[in-house]
Amino acid sequence: MSKIQINNLTVNYTEKKKSFTALKDVNFSIEAGEFVSVIGSSGCGKSTLLSILEGINTPTDGEILIDGEPIHGTGTDRGVVFQHYSLFPWMTARKNVAFGIKQVRKDVSRSERYRIADEYLEKVGLEQFGNKYPSQLSGGMQQRVAIARALAIDTDILLMDEPFGAIDAKNRTILQELLLDLWEGDGTTERKTVVFVTHDIDEAILLSDKIVMMTANPGRVYREIKVPFDRPRNRSELVQTKEYTRFRNTLLSMFYSDISTKIGGEEVVL
Amino acid sequence: MTLKNRYLKVVHALFIVLILIQFLPDKLPAYTYASYLIWFAIGTEAVTLIASSLIKKKEGLDLFADIVTFIYGLLIAWTLATAKFNVLKPSLFPPPGRIFWQMIADYDKILINIKSSVGIILQGYILALIIAVPLGLFLGWSARLGSAATYVSKFFGAIPPIVYIPYGIALLPTFRSVSVFVIFLATFWPVFAGTMSGVMNVDKKTIDSAKVLNVNKATMMFSIILPASLQQIFIGCNQGLTVSFVLLTSAEMIGAQSGLGYYIKNYSDFGDYTRTIVGLIVVGIVIIAISFIFNSIQKYLLRWKQ
Repeated sequence: MSKIQINNLTVNYTEKKKSFTALKDVNFSIEAGEFVSVIGSSGCGKSTLLSILEGINTPTDGEILIDGEPIHGTGTDRGVVFQHYSLFPWMTARKNVAFGIKQVRKDVSRSERYRIADEYLEKVGLEQFGNKYPSQLSGGMQQRVAIARALAIDTDILLMDEPFGAIDAKNRTILQELLLDLWEGDGTTERKTVVFVTHDIDEAILLSDKIVMMTANPGRVYREIKVPFDRPRNRSELVQTKEYTRFRNTLLSMFYSDISTKIGGEEVVL
Repeated sequence: MTLKNRYLKVVHALFIVLILIQFLPDKLPAYTYASYLIWFAIGTEAVTLIASSLIKKKEGLDLFADIVTFIYGLLIAWTLATAKFNVLKPSLFPPPGRIFWQMIADYDKILINIKSSVGIILQGYILALIIAVPLGLFLGWSARLGSAATYVSKFFGAIPPIVYIPYGIALLPTFRSVSVFVIFLATFWPVFAGTMSGVMNVDKKTIDSAKVLNVNKATMMFSIILPASLQQIFIGCNQGLTVSFVLLTSAEMIGAQSGLGYYIKNYSDFGDYTRTIVGLIVVGIVIIAISFIFNSIQKYLLRWKQ
C-alpha cells in the first residue's frame, strides 16, 4: 500500500459565474519515505493539488488516501511549509516552533516543547535567533524557521509549496542543501514522505526520488519520472556528470514539448 | 558638557531671563507669588540638566530643548504681560506664580477630581473593551453574522454618544452611572467595529498556516485571530479613548458635582479664573499621561511589528 494515493482527483472552480477545471483526473501514488516533486508551469494546478493534500481545499471529485484512509480536512499526520506567511509574526522564532509542536503533540510538556524547538532551530542554524520576531529575520531565515517547525512537529508527511520560490538564488541553493541534509538524515531515523511543489527543474532533480510533471488547461499529470541518482547527493559533483546533463535535457525537452503546444497566449514559466 | 548643544544654550539663557525679570518691580496691585514661579523654573532647569545628560540622541535632545524653550518663553511673556506691566485684565489673566501657588494649594481637591474623572472613564472604557473585543472576534469570524453586525455597528457608531445623555439620565439613577453608560457606548462601537474589521481582514494565508497545524477553535480565536487583528482593535480603542475624554469633561460641566470638568465650570461660575486655568492645565496633564500609558501598552503589544 502506498503512503499517499491520489485517485481521480478533479477540482472545478467557479469564479464570476465562469467555471474552470484546475485539476482533471489526477492519479498517482507516493511511497513511504519517498521525496516527490510536483513540477509544472503556472496554472497547472500543482498548488491546488497540494492545498487538497494539506486539507485546506476539498476536491470536486475523487479522493486522496493516506495509509489507505481518505483524508477529510487538515490532519496531524502532515506538516506544511508555504512560500509565504507560514510563521505567525507575533511569535518569536522559538515560540513559532514550540506553538507548532503544542498543536500536534499534545502530550509534550512546555519545557520539553521549548527544548525541541531549540534543538530544531539549531539544526537549521538559527540557534542565535530564537528570540527574534519574523519581521527581524530575512526571508531565507524565516523559511528556515518554517522548516524547523515542520520537522519539529515530526509528522510522517511533509508538504512544501514552493518553499524557496521567493528566496534569492544563493540562499535558495543553501536552503536546498540544508533540506536535503535534514531529510536524508544520518540513516538512523526513517525518512519522511515529502511532496514538494516547485517550478525549478534543477531543484526538483537535486531533491527528488520522483518528479511528477504536470500540464495546464486542465491541470493533469503529464509524466512521472524517476530520478536515477544515488543518495546522499552532492550538488557540485552531481551537476558535473554527463548523466545529470542528459537527464536534465530530457526533462527540459518534455517540459518544452508540453509548453510548445500551447505557446501563443499562454504564460510560460520555467 | 550640556552647553555643547546650541538649543540648550537658548534654554539656559531663557531660564536666566525668566529668573531676572522676577526682580523687576511688580505693577500688579495683588500678590504675585513670584517665588512659586521661581521654584517651578528651577525644577524645570534641574530636569533639563538631568535629561540633557540622559538623552543620547541629538533629535531627542533638540525636541526636549524646544519644548522647554516654549515653556520658558510662555512664562516670560506671561509674567511681563501680567505682574510686571499689567497690560492684561488681572481677574482674567492671573500671573503665572499665582497659578502654581493655586495648583499646590488646591492639591487635594484636584486629586479627588482627577480620581473621580479617571475612575468613570476607566470603568466605562474597560467594561466596553471586555464586551466589545470578544463579541467582535466572534461576530467577525462568523461570515454571515459578521456582515449584518457591520451594518448595525455602522448605524449605532454614527450616533454621537452625547445624544444618549438625556435618555441615560431617564434610565439611570446617578450622574456617575450615566457617565459610565455614555463612555461605554462611546468606546463600545469603535472598538467593536475595529475588532470586526480586523478579524475580517486577517490574511487568509495566516489562517491557512494555523489550520494546517490543526489548531482548535479557541486557539484559532485567541492565539491567531486576536493578535492578527490587534492593530485594528487598537485603532478603535484609541478613538474610544479620545471621545471618552471629550464626553466626560463636557458632561461634568453640565450636571456633575465632581470631576475635572466640574472643577473648571464651577470656579469659572464664581469668576475664579486662576482655578479655571489650573483646571485646564490639569486636564491637559491627565490626558497626556493617559495617552502615554495607552501608547506604551500598544507599543509593547505590537512590538513584533517592525
